[in-house]
Amino acid sequence: MSDEENFEIFDTCSNPNGHGHDYAIQVKLNGEIDPESGMIYSLQDLDDIMNPVIEELDHKRLDIEIPYFENQQPTGENIAKYIWNKIKPNLNNKLIHIKLSETSRSYFEYYEEDNYPYER
Amino acid sequence: MGFKKLLTKKMEFSASHRYWNKGWSEEKNISVFGKSAGPHGHGHNYNLEVTVEGEVDAETGMIINLYELKSVMSEVLLDFDHKHLNEDNHHFKDIVPTTENIARVLWDLLEEKLADNPKCSLYRVRLYETQDLYVDYWRK
Repeated sequence: MSDEENFEIFDTCSNPNGHGHDYAIQVKLNGEIDPESGMIYSLQDLDDIMNPVIEELDHKRLDIEIPYFENQQPTGENIAKYIWNKIKPNLNNKLIHIKLSETSRSYFEYYEEDNYPYER
Repeated sequence: MGFKKLLTKKMEFSASHRYWNKGWSEEKNISVFGKSAGPHGHGHNYNLEVTVEGEVDAETGMIINLYELKSVMSEVLLDFDHKHLNEDNHHFKDIVPTTENIARVLWDLLEEKLADNPKCSLYRVRLYETQDLYVDYWRK
């Protein structure tokens, strides 16, 4: 796309030097409560899975420093999907929902429709 | 398996309202609505959360441009923000402007405006009347 088309669609988000957000990621796990530990999933283990993914993205220019976003727009929609795909295989099928907040006034959700127990 | 992709945008507006059913006696109105039936109305800082669903466009990486959603919400809220809903908004001429009814009216207005965009559809309207109270409204 031309510069004009990019500015038309992406507006201030197409600023050549980028712009930043304080993203917040929220994940929802669903599962049985283990009778011995009393937990669905160890929060320590969850941290160990989440932290490297966050570490990779934190304080980075996503479109320059993260290879995946060289060919994908680093929109909230695509970042949520990226994080989902990174952590999902390590969570024993317990991950059911991801919510990525871009600002205090906007957020993105990503989940498998057939594997989500709530209506909305 | 299908993936659900949702985008939610929040926007605040301020409005006043009075809970009053014209078909009821004063006694019944006060007994049902209590303080909310006060003759001069009262105000809230409402928070509207609009959730849309759709496919992520391969070129833009977006379900809908947030600027577009913002302008749709701003236009709809023109008749709500800093208005006395009973007096200034014709949608509440014959229905009580409860949070439930405001959410339903907002759904209709937002759905109509979003119909111009074939790539996304309205998924849920969540309306906070105060921090402690909200109504969810959706239609299948």
